[in-house]
Amino acid sequence: MIFSELYSAYYNAVAKIIRELINGEKNENRLSEIVSEKAFGESMLTVLPSLKSEKWQLMKSNMTTPIKHSPTMPLTNIEKSWLKAVFMDPRIRLFGDYDNLFPDTEPLFTPDDYVIYDRYSDGDDFTDEGYIERFRTILSAVKSKTPLDIRMLNRKGDEISVTILPERLEYSEKDDKMRLIGIGKGNYDTINLARIISCKESKEKDFSFSKKEESKSRMVTLRITDRRNALERCLLHFAHFEKRAEKIDDMNYMVHIVYDKDDETELVIRILSFGPLVEVTEPQHFRELIIERLKRQAEFNL
Amino acid sequence: MSEFSELIKNYEKVRSYMREFYIYGFKNRSEYNKKSARSYDDERRRIESWLQSHMRFDRTSEGKNVFISIDSRRIEHNPFFRTLKAKSFTDKDITLHFILFDILHSPDIHLSLPEILEQIDIYLSGFSQHMVFDESTVRKKLKEYTELGIITAEKQGKKMLYSRAYDEELSDITDILNFFSETAPCGVIGSFLLDKTEKENDIFSFKHHYITSAIDSDVLAKLFMAIRQKSVITMTNLSRRNDTPITIRVIPLKIFISAQNGRQHLLCYHMEWNSIRSYRIDYLSDIRIENPTPRYDELRNELKRMQENMWGVNAGKTTLSNEETHHIEFTVHVGEDEKHIIRRLEREKRTGKVEKIDENTYRFSAEVYDENELIPWIRTFICRIKDIHFESQETQQRFKDDIKRMCGLYGIEEAE
Repeated sequence: MIFSELYSAYYNAVAKIIRELINGEKNENRLSEIVSEKAFGESMLTVLPSLKSEKWQLMKSNMTTPIKHSPTMPLTNIEKSWLKAVFMDPRIRLFGDYDNLFPDTEPLFTPDDYVIYDRYSDGDDFTDEGYIERFRTILSAVKSKTPLDIRMLNRKGDEISVTILPERLEYSEKDDKMRLIGIGKGNYDTINLARIISCKESKEKDFSFSKKEESKSRMVTLRITDRRNALERCLLHFAHFEKRAEKIDDMNYMVHIVYDKDDETELVIRILSFGPLVEVTEPQHFRELIIERLKRQAEFNL
Repeated sequence: MSEFSELIKNYEKVRSYMREFYIYGFKNRSEYNKKSARSYDDERRRIESWLQSHMRFDRTSEGKNVFISIDSRRIEHNPFFRTLKAKSFTDKDITLHFILFDILHSPDIHLSLPEILEQIDIYLSGFSQHMVFDESTVRKKLKEYTELGIITAEKQGKKMLYSRAYDEELSDITDILNFFSETAPCGVIGSFLLDKTEKENDIFSFKHHYITSAIDSDVLAKLFMAIRQKSVITMTNLSRRNDTPITIRVIPLKIFISAQNGRQHLLCYHMEWNSIRSYRIDYLSDIRIENPTPRYDELRNELKRMQENMWGVNAGKTTLSNEETHHIEFTVHVGEDEKHIIRRLEREKRTGKVEKIDENTYRFSAEVYDENELIPWIRTFICRIKDIHFESQETQQRFKDDIKRMCGLYGIEEAE
């Protein structure tokens, strides 16, 4: 159903090769580039040789094709039903107003057919008209790389103004929040969209944007004791980080996780959630963060 | 010995390898003992070919380990989508596909099967040893494409006429595809659509982004179809605890997705046990959709009611008519400048309530089917838990013992 040759990298590569051949392309290097770009590491050994040997009868020995029109394929039923499902998602309004798409198609799923049960409940209000308008302004500025003048509330709740050169929008699935990431002055390289009161394209032409200091990556090493399925739970929980795991013995494993220093506090509490089955072995400063919390807990003499 | 191909016919073969490489990544070749060494070598080589730069290698005293390491915040598209674009096909499949859609290049062209066959011969006549397509092969392909919705078949008199379905313009929804292919269930379908646009995503990035569920897309899509049809299904379950797959017949009700570990569960009604059960979707395969059931709406409402007492995916082990909930409560200390802790309690709780006891003390309480599901969350408040009460004395003791053991790990002595 989903795993079908119709969506395959090979079909996509061949479609593009045919397009180039129709346009008179005869340079084999260019066709090889298409294979590298569209398909996999070893596809070079198959795609062009299959076309050249006429195993796939779509390219003749003189580098022409019997195909006359640029290859296209209509949407499959499952593609339409997935789109129909997506158009029922409340977040769709961020992108425009779409009504009655594919009236004869049933959605693959509706918002009632699934739940993200551990998502935080104070996510952005994607149905708020003001939020939608600001999102669209920001999206447009991200695309055109136009600086934005932003009025927003800081952490203390004070209204402030910042100018930022937008780079991208970051969405957190757990927080259900959008953040604008860009290059700005001072600490305002990342702005939660929900904090923005208003924004517009900046008129300031001479604004020099300070080069953002790259967020520093750090590494923490954990020892996992594989009881109560801790190994799998822990590795799944931290799966979205760059990481490396090693086996010490049948019960103990070490995992090295690369994280962003801005997320250190979050990582501390996520590690605490595994209780005594996960221990931070290094670095020492990270161990101290855990120790400090455990000491404070010990004072409650639970 | 057959020649190696980076394409495969059956995705199920690589699903478990990818999970092992990505989630675990510490096993060497000899530990993949379920299948032959040859099979391991082939699957590893395929996955390496599909995921290229995301593959990592580690040499240990026990041999070479292969693993997948991806910081999902730094990628624009889920790399596992590529693995779902590696389906094998025959020489005739690909040749016929492109010729067929060139013959039917506009929805206004309506041709019968003999007319299509005649045209195919013209397309192939320029090749020295040209392929020959018989009527049955082309009819079968047209039938397959009609079922997929990309070809329409219409009877005119006694003749069946074939044409291509209408094309949809996708260029103005590229932003939608870039966003929802990463955030909506079965997002790989969005990736298929993006392949048609050839536009890159340099707009969105994703935090706390779990990407492994992509490899379960086919199973998930079938479960959604069964849910939409309100049908009974038969499925195969192979959990890590079992070596033998088990066939189960259930009524699928809802998909539960975690934003904190990426796991996806099917919540369903188990007819034999008369209870609502959860199954991890990464352990499921071979979903067979049967007939619709008249009990569907009743059972789905039942699950909706039960969600009030569910913290995670566990709806209790008891039957529908005999359910049991447990009371859990704990209090936390909130300092003068720690109002964010109250916000954390409010936004992170999935059921239950938060009450102010005094200026510096707040209580969370809930009635749940499985109190164990709350423990990881409660531990995130370590440093401020003043009191805790589980209904089960055993759980209560284990929670306290675990904190003592944590203190022991870090060399801290608890106050007497």
